Order: sequence, then structure tokens, then C-alpha cells
Amino acid sequence: MNVDFARRARMTALYIALITLAVIFSGPLGWLILTSLKAPNELSVFPIQLFPETPQWHNYLDALTYIDFLGYARNSLILATLSSVLTTISSAWMAYGFARLSAPGKKFWFGLLISTMMMPGIITLIPTYLMFAKLGFVDTYIPWILWGLSGAAYMIFLFRQFFSGMPKELEEAAVLDGCGHVRIFWKIFIPQSWPVLAACMVLTFTASWGDFIAPSLLLSDETTTLAVKMTAGYVNEKGFPVQNLLAAGSTMFILPVLLLFLFFQRFFVQGFSTSGLK
Amino acid sequence: MTATLTASRETPPGTARPRRGKRGRAGTRPRTFYLFVGPWIAGFVLLTLFPLGYAFWMSLTNTDGLSPHWSYVGMDNYVRVFQDGQTLASLGRTGIFMLATVPTGVAAGLLMAVMLNRDFKGRALFRALFYLPAVVPGVAAALTFKIIFDKNAGAANAAIGAVGGEPISWLADPWVRSVLILMMLWGVGGSMIVSLAALQDVPKELLEAARVDGAGPVYSFFKITLPILSPIIFFQVVTGVIGSLQVFVPSLLLAPVNGAAAVTAVPEGNYFFMVHVYAEYFAKSHFGYASALLWVLFLFVLLITGIVFKIGNRAVFYGGVDPSERKEG
Repeated sequence: MNVDFARRARMTALYIALITLAVIFSGPLGWLILTSLKAPNELSVFPIQLFPETPQWHNYLDALTYIDFLGYARNSLILATLSSVLTTISSAWMAYGFARLSAPGKKFWFGLLISTMMMPGIITLIPTYLMFAKLGFVDTYIPWILWGLSGAAYMIFLFRQFFSGMPKELEEAAVLDGCGHVRIFWKIFIPQSWPVLAACMVLTFTASWGDFIAPSLLLSDETTTLAVKMTAGYVNEKGFPVQNLLAAGSTMFILPVLLLFLFFQRFFVQGFSTSGLK
Repeated sequence: MTATLTASRETPPGTARPRRGKRGRAGTRPRTFYLFVGPWIAGFVLLTLFPLGYAFWMSLTNTDGLSPHWSYVGMDNYVRVFQDGQTLASLGRTGIFMLATVPTGVAAGLLMAVMLNRDFKGRALFRALFYLPAVVPGVAAALTFKIIFDKNAGAANAAIGAVGGEPISWLADPWVRSVLILMMLWGVGGSMIVSLAALQDVPKELLEAARVDGAGPVYSFFKITLPILSPIIFFQVVTGVIGSLQVFVPSLLLAPVNGAAAVTAVPEGNYFFMVHVYAEYFAKSHFGYASALLWVLFLFVLLITGIVFKIGNRAVFYGGVDPSERKEG
């Protein structure tokens, strides 16, 4: 009885703490959505209103036309797809080498791979940009193709862990049948690793969709991504942000990422964090 | 080793297993290995090593990136790094930012993970709600915080106004750094997920045994859970330190001006080391000096990574990381 009471009191305290945290953590997005539904005259009245008098749903349509939202979204989509497909396939390809093949120097390269996982990309980004500028790659998607083809250290590591766990019989039988490693990779390993493929695809896609600095350095106003345009597009003639349209645009900009997250929550929460970091 | 054991155990008896036959030769042919790993090596050389070398070469000159008239200045730029008041001040700010975000972030993530590490109704929902902000792209997070902390229309000043206070200019000094820190801590769910995954590794029997022996939850947390989690906490602190050394884009995004000019408008409180590097490159065209700054940061990160490898290589990266080894061991 007493124990039961203590237990219940503990659970109640836990729920109160969790609900408080939930309110704090969802607050910013909640305010973003409320702002996106306000009329212009409701934005800076004092005292500030929490809710719009009537939700201005047309703000979302206006946000689509205030900047060429869909055009920039298309740029983002092309770039993110290009980058995620290339990065995923090439990372898996290289991970196969690290997981299943051996050669002199393998230890060295693997150690190097691990240490580049710690290296901040921002250090190389600026000199890489200057190099690409000299080569005339600015305002093209070539940099992303090159980055994609050379894979991402973290993803290579993730695939390598997964491939190492697959039974050796798989390829032994195939080798007996005269199968080369390239075919083993495509016909046996790739079909078996769809959870990692999906996780890698989603992670690189969302990273590219949200990336600001690389496209803002490398692309022009026409070819740039939605992420870059979002930061500068929703301003009036005087240069002040049009808050309600900016909020509506931001909501639509976040939406694809949130949907991917909801669909692939399992991968985010279990697959990637447990297989990658521990 | 363990994989070999599994293999022999699972192979039906009597099956011929030409271990040192065809497979052995095909597997050890270096050409095949380099066929697979080659693209990464090429990428490393061309997209990491070469740019770093290019930056190093620039750091020994006084080039502005455009003008053909430049000269070799030796180590002058590096000497200047340690005499430039702006550099030292920006380093100090970066340090403060690191101290304000890394320990709090790791601790808050761990606390939230512990709260969620039990079965109760709504666990998945809370987990999703806490993790959600961590997947929101940085650009959107910054825009959201700019809207919340807007002087005239923001929620923060609405709350202050409701209790009769004066509105605050959140996005200017001295408040803007606090806004940035709050924004970073909003994404603490990422750290929570990592800790939550690590908590699954704490043996339930051990905690149960401690409980039977009369240990309270706080005692078992500090004496059992925390030591088992220490490698993952160490890993988070290290990545947090390296991450905060390069903090830069959020400062730019919270600046009052957008686009290329943003870097010149970053309030002093958020003028961190990488912001300084960026400003030296693109606002002042001091390519040589900026490259020297970049190299100092690079060496610093290299030093930290080296120390980490010395201390915690096994614990951090290989502590039960290989799935094939885990299932057997």
C-alpha cells in the first residue's frame, strides 16, 4: 500500500516534469505556427496576442508566391536527392572494402577514416570553395557530385559496422560460384542492407535540405537552395522581415524533414544511434 | 575471429569448406580493396588534403585571393594570430560558449534519457517531442528563434509585457548570445537519443542486484549507470568541444542582416572564432591571415583528436561496437 503510493507519487512527478519539458520543447514550433496564421496587424500589437483572431490560412499561399518558393524547393530537392543517393551508394561501396576485403595499408586508411569523422567540415569548406572557384565549379552542382562520390566518413563507418556483422557464408558461396566482389556487393550486400541504406539516405537528404553554408558560398541567387533563400527572401521594401509569411514559409520548409522523421523514426532512434556511435 | 567461429558452427557437418582456396586469394588481392576504397581515398586527397595544403600555402603569403601581387611572408601571419586582439577575444567568447553549451547539453540529454528509460504510457510520444527540435534544420531553428525573440512581435517580449516589464532587444548585445545558447540547447534531443541508446547497455540484473542490496536509485545511478556510460559521455563531450570550436553558421543566421553582409553585422557577443575567420576571408579579403587562423584551428582540433585517440580510442569507438563481436561476446 505504502510502496504503491510512493510509486504513484514518483510517476506523477515524472509526468509533471515530462509535460513541462514537452511544452518547452514544442513551444518554439508552436509559436512559429501561430505566427504563420496571424494577420499583419496582429504581429506587433501591444500587448502581443497569442492566438490569431481568425487563422489566416492564405498566408501559406502568399508565402509560396512572395518568393519563388517552389522553384527554390525544386533546387533543394534536386541537390538533396543527388547528394543523398550518391553519398549512400558510394559510402556503402567503400564500406564493403573496409568490411570484407584486405590489403596492405587497410589499417592505415581505416584509422584515417575514423579520424576524419572528428574533423569539422567547416575547416576545409572555405579553401575547398576557393579551389572550386578557381576551377569554375561555382554555380554548378559539380561540388555536390564530387562530395557524393567520395562518400561520407560517418556513413562509411555505419555501413562497415553493418557489413561486418553479415555471415561470411553469403559471399563464400557466391565466390565458389565464380562471382566477383562487385557482383557480391550489388546482388547480396545491397539488397540485405536496406535499413542502413534508408537511414543513410534520410540523414544525408535532411542534412543537405537544411544546409546553409555550402550553397550560400557556391551557388547564385537563381540556383541556390530554399534554405538559403529562406533567410533573405521574406523582407519588405524597407528590408524588414515579413514575419507571418516568413513563419508560414519556414513551416513549409521544415515539413518534409518532419515527415521523413516521423516515417523513419525507428531508424533515427534505434538504427542509427545504436549502430553508429556505441 | 568470432566470425570464423560462427561460420564453422553454422556450416552443416561434412560440407567442404575451401577456406584457403579461391576466396582467400580473391579477398586478399589489394587491387580489389583499392577498387572499393579508392574513391574515398581520392576524395580525401582532393577534397580534404589538397584544400588544407592550399590554405597552408596561402597562410604563408599576403594574398587577397584576387590581386596577382602577393608575396611570401613566412610565419608572419601565424605570429599575428597571437597578437590580434580580435582573435584572442573571439577565442575567449568561443570558450564561454563551449562552457555554456557542452556540459549543460550533455547533462540535460542524459537526464532526459534517464527519465525516458523506463516503460510508461506515452514514452514514445515524449521521446519524439524531445527529439524533434534536433532534426529541425539549423536555418529554420534560427528563423524560429528570430521570430520568438523579435523585439516588437516576439513571444519572449509578450511574456515580459504580460508581467509589466519593458521589452528587451534580444537579438542585440548583450542578450543575443543567450538566445544562441538557448537555440543550441533546444536541440539537446540529439544527445538524449545517444544517451538513451547507451542506457540500453546497462545490465538490468546489475541494477536489480543493487536494489536488492538496498542501494537507492541515486546511488546506483552514480555507481553503476554513470561508469558504464562514461565512454559515451566522453565521446559526446569531445564532439561537443570540437563542434563548439567551429560554431559559426548560427551566429550568422541570428545576425540582423542577411546574406553576404551578415558576417559584418554579427553582434559582438556572437563573434566567435570561426565568424572571425569568415570575416577575415570574405569581408576583409585577408586570405593569407584568415588561412593562418584556419590552420591554427585545424591544429587545435588535431591535437584534441590525438589526445582522444590516446585516452579513449577503444572505449569510445570499439566498446562493443562491432555487431559480429557483440552477439558472440
